[in-house]
Amino acid sequence: MRSAELPICQNPVPPLSVRNLTKRYGEEPVIDRVTFSATAGEVLGIIGPNGAGKTTLLEAVVGLLAADSGEVVWHGEPLPASQRRNALFYLPDGVRPYRDEATSQVVSFFAGVYRRSTAETADTVSSVGLRPVLHKRVHALSKGYNRRLLLALALLAPHPVLLMDEPFDGFDLRQTREIVEVLRNRAARGRTFILAIHQLADAERVCDRLILLAGGRVRGAGTLDELRAQTELPAGSLEDIFLALT
Amino acid sequence: MRLRKTYGRQSSPLWPLLIKELREITSGRALWTMLLLLCPLVGYSFFQAVSLYGEASTAALQSPVLASSLSPLDGILVPTLGSFYVAVTLLFPFVAIRALGQEKETGALRLLVQLPYRPSTLVSAKLAAVLAAWTLASIPALSALVLWRILGGHLAPAETANLLFGHLAYGLLVGALALFSASISDSAATAAIVALAVTIGSWVLDFTVAGSPGILSWIAQLSLTQTLRPFEQGLLSSGLALGTACAIFGLIALATVWLPPGVPPRSKLRRSLLWVLAVAVMLGAATQLRLTIDVTEDRRNSFPAADQKLLATLRLPLLVTVHLAPEDPRYADLQRNVLAKLERAMPNVSVALGGPRQGFSSGSSDESYGEVEYVYGGRSDTSRSTSPREILPLLYALAGVSPPVPTPGSEYPGYPLVASADATLFWFFGGLPLLIVLSWWCIRRPPSIDSSLMHEGGLS
Repeated sequence: MRSAELPICQNPVPPLSVRNLTKRYGEEPVIDRVTFSATAGEVLGIIGPNGAGKTTLLEAVVGLLAADSGEVVWHGEPLPASQRRNALFYLPDGVRPYRDEATSQVVSFFAGVYRRSTAETADTVSSVGLRPVLHKRVHALSKGYNRRLLLALALLAPHPVLLMDEPFDGFDLRQTREIVEVLRNRAARGRTFILAIHQLADAERVCDRLILLAGGRVRGAGTLDELRAQTELPAGSLEDIFLALT
Repeated sequence: MRLRKTYGRQSSPLWPLLIKELREITSGRALWTMLLLLCPLVGYSFFQAVSLYGEASTAALQSPVLASSLSPLDGILVPTLGSFYVAVTLLFPFVAIRALGQEKETGALRLLVQLPYRPSTLVSAKLAAVLAAWTLASIPALSALVLWRILGGHLAPAETANLLFGHLAYGLLVGALALFSASISDSAATAAIVALAVTIGSWVLDFTVAGSPGILSWIAQLSLTQTLRPFEQGLLSSGLALGTACAIFGLIALATVWLPPGVPPRSKLRRSLLWVLAVAVMLGAATQLRLTIDVTEDRRNSFPAADQKLLATLRLPLLVTVHLAPEDPRYADLQRNVLAKLERAMPNVSVALGGPRQGFSSGSSDESYGEVEYVYGGRSDTSRSTSPREILPLLYALAGVSPPVPTPGSEYPGYPLVASADATLFWFFGGLPLLIVLSWWCIRRPPSIDSSLMHEGGLS
């Protein structure tokens, strides 16, 4: 846990709050009255097994999926779904964008849209290790490099809060550590990351705070130490805590 | 990178989006495959058209009367561009659907809708890319027109431009339909089925209900191919042009409604209904526009110039009552040769079908069947003719004016041309496809990478 490295937030109102968000498919709630908040510069992990509702939660938060009830609050004010893209940027899982274009063209497109300088773009490309494949078409990228491309696109977006679905999927241990370092550096400058992760080891490594989701419900929330205290497992790993809470 | 409370969408430039859309539509195989198919299709149509035109011209070279019936619009332009129309109907939906369908299938749409552009801007950019694709696809047809000029053929600028404008309107209509289909479909395949159901359905309408009376006649008007017909006849109709623009606008508006993934379907349906009503009102208003210009060089859609001038001065209402069934070929003749021209020439013309509807094939014993009654300035006369040579003197007599003196030298000379188009086949079957493949290869080549992107970063 790196919470000690985070800048101290002077504003008591968290930039993003999600209150009682519910999404049903038919009668079945996929996410059920989910409530959480995220502070500036925080890396918040939403963890849970496959089918826990992590992706649905992220998509409902950013407005890509219509929620049945609940609200998203931005700096204390309700944030309508149509305006969420001004504050939040979501990186979905399983996307291979613009398959027939070269990687550099896709990066340049996002950099152009967000008016990123050449230096900023080059830094982002370098930070996620995308340089060796800039000339390749997206359809020819490996799963790991496609994930790096998506991370680069998300980091080029200037939004204060980035939500990422399985950002380490496709990376080996060393690569995951590299990317964790990149995200930590960006978070240290005040950016908030909300990451949906199903690999508990990855989540333990990168997140300041965790929300444990199972069956669409929040089963526990807090830092690893808080969760240990909650479950009375003082030396428990995240895996132990998750099993105890779900 | 400086953080802000929110990211304002208003500050984003449009050019990256437009360039991306152009790249997307040109990097796919669909456009280039369509271009390659168009080469032999347009080429053979052009070759056939020139051959037939040449055969007709052989006799016409000896006879000015025969020569005056030879117009490149009918002989060359319409048949050559006719094959382009077929390709646009059957193939262009696949090209246009790619502009949106690909992003839906790969999930990139979920990134796109988060960019700081309105959904209407995103769809408009895609329509701009579709327009660019249509322009590229028209290259074989345009090259046929250039070859016609090289062979010594004549092209009247106004009627040529009008016909190309008609094809552009039709292409954009098909493109907008394809974008709408892609916006409501989960996959490109489903979108193609929806789009082709409409375009091919239009052909079915043309074959089955065109020329039928009553409600069937109205249904036949919904056919997309009706968009092109007046342009092929050399008419520029303000109502049709505005109506087509409204239909394109309506389809784009509907695509915009259905693009964002986070809106409940019920809300999308409600907004769609409002747009459909709004566009229906706009289409209704467009049908009220009567201004139609005959842009043909031979003025086939108008009376002789002197008559046009005189008829324009007859300001009183002219009421024409036709005692013919709409499916009677004489009615079609009368409509084409007299009534449509009168409506364009005179300021106030009303046409009505008289009496109970009678089938011309049912052997009606009504003696008035076939009569056409003309009422002008309180005076009336009747005729069974469908020829302006008989009707115009009748109208002048009703109006109490003398028939005009024909303007000398205003006759259409005709443009007979005996030429061999054999050499053009090398272009359509060899040169042009080769150029298309080369262009495709150039576009598919990896782009040169901005060297600044390769520099070591310092922000990570």
